[in-house]
Amino acid sequence: MSRKNNISAGRTALELVRSNAVPIMFIIICAVFIPMAGFSPSYLINEIITRMGRNLFLVLCLLFPIMAGMGLNFAMTLGAMGAEIAIILVADWQIWGIPGVVLAMILSIPFSALLGWFCGTVLNMAKGREMITSYIMNYFIGNGVYQLVVLYIMGSIIPIAHASIMLPRGYGIRNTVSLLNMRQCLDDLLAIRVGGVKIPVLTFLLIGVLCLFIVWFRHTKLGQDMRAVGQDMQVAKDAGINVDRTRILSIIMSTVFAGFGMVIYLQNMGNLPTYTGHAQIGMFCIAALLVGGASVERASIGNAFLGVILFHLMFIVAPNAGKFITGDSMVGEYFRVFLSYGVITIALIMYEAKKRMVKSKAGLELAAAQRGEEGVK
Amino acid sequence: MKSKRRILFSALMVLALIAIAACMMVIGRGHTVYFDNKTLEDYQGQTYKAANRIVVYVNGEQVAKLGARERGMSIWIGQNFKMTLEITEKKGDEPVVKEISLKLPYSVDGIVINLPALLAGLPEEAWFSEFVPAVTEEEPTDEVPGTDDEFGLGGEFGLEDELGDI
Repeated sequence: MSRKNNISAGRTALELVRSNAVPIMFIIICAVFIPMAGFSPSYLINEIITRMGRNLFLVLCLLFPIMAGMGLNFAMTLGAMGAEIAIILVADWQIWGIPGVVLAMILSIPFSALLGWFCGTVLNMAKGREMITSYIMNYFIGNGVYQLVVLYIMGSIIPIAHASIMLPRGYGIRNTVSLLNMRQCLDDLLAIRVGGVKIPVLTFLLIGVLCLFIVWFRHTKLGQDMRAVGQDMQVAKDAGINVDRTRILSIIMSTVFAGFGMVIYLQNMGNLPTYTGHAQIGMFCIAALLVGGASVERASIGNAFLGVILFHLMFIVAPNAGKFITGDSMVGEYFRVFLSYGVITIALIMYEAKKRMVKSKAGLELAAAQRGEEGVK
Repeated sequence: MKSKRRILFSALMVLALIAIAACMMVIGRGHTVYFDNKTLEDYQGQTYKAANRIVVYVNGEQVAKLGARERGMSIWIGQNFKMTLEITEKKGDEPVVKEISLKLPYSVDGIVINLPALLAGLPEEAWFSEFVPAVTEEEPTDEVPGTDDEFGLGGEFGLEDELGDI
């Protein structure tokens, strides 16, 4: 009896490890790297809290498409692009501080929603291949349309008044736009210091509001529809749910919230890398969510929080740990990029392997049941 | 009926957002205010001399301590600008404190205020001027967008986009 219990407990533990392999792997990496990096605990906590405030909103916006069964939305960068266009306009109009942040958020809504609608429509034409389609769409919109707008249309058709953000040739936006006058305005308002650690209360309040919204939204009619669509599109369709519309709405919500998140991110950074800002965002947010134990079809707010903490902890300590191991800090820089891509790859492989395992297990069970039926006959 | 209500709700939402955006545009307009403690010569036949020292406080913070012929600056969000001046006319005099409120024009980014003229109560044309940044000649080929390599890593591995602070 006790042996049976032991075997069962062992299986449960193995299952737990298997289903949380990525977070466990990252916890081990961080545990090894932290002593090597040699940072003080207060420095690490400070950095983690800053990065949580900066990134959590963006990571949370990935939950909507996962809810609707559309996987990891690489096209969240479209929302980031919408926010960047809004921020450029706000910087040119010289709207500073909190009003600048609010205006940029409002202004990003139509851009993000339009791009989200376009993306959702395209993804409906590519059902079952949403992730790769959204990934490729980044290149089309990001390297195509966005650069056309920012590099050629802004300044020539869309009026840009300030030479400080315009390229010397008279049109197009510079590589970097300074957001010094709105830098950390959201983070500093209501900020408190606990033991030398700055806590951006207002930013965390906004993140909290989004978390509450997600929890509330799951129980609304639309939220239930999204979950139904995510579980089985055919069943949802038979139940009278407009599947395509629901999927488009989930992408629009994701891109609009990604736009807000990008504004929060940029006000924290204090400058806008015009042509590369959005490119980093999608990859790192998805990596962070996966590190937190999310999968392509299941993600929670807890995964987002854990993921941001672990991923960014690794991100902070990796360069110094790399320097400690190899004597060259650049190896650490490459190492963290390698890890972020690696974790996406591993998580996707594990997801696919698990899916196949479940499928083959179900097949075996069905075969056994059929054999049993034949035996009875 | 439900559709009508939805359209009405959406329209109200859009209007509310437009109204908030308009408010933000007004209250968030940033200006750079420059303070000149320079003698204003020959204004309607009179000369208004620079004070020995003027200390400028904006929002309770000291932003400039100006001797004669010196310039200071401060940033301000909104159109109702307020500052406190601590004026020492001549060396050894007791400083006089004055609170001044000004309405900044919305369309002007940089505003230069000649303090001696303002303190003398002269009309706006005497103390107000627009700051025009000096035009520096730039080579158009200096900056090629999208080819940043701030870490000096080189772009051959396509990593230049991904590295950096996130």
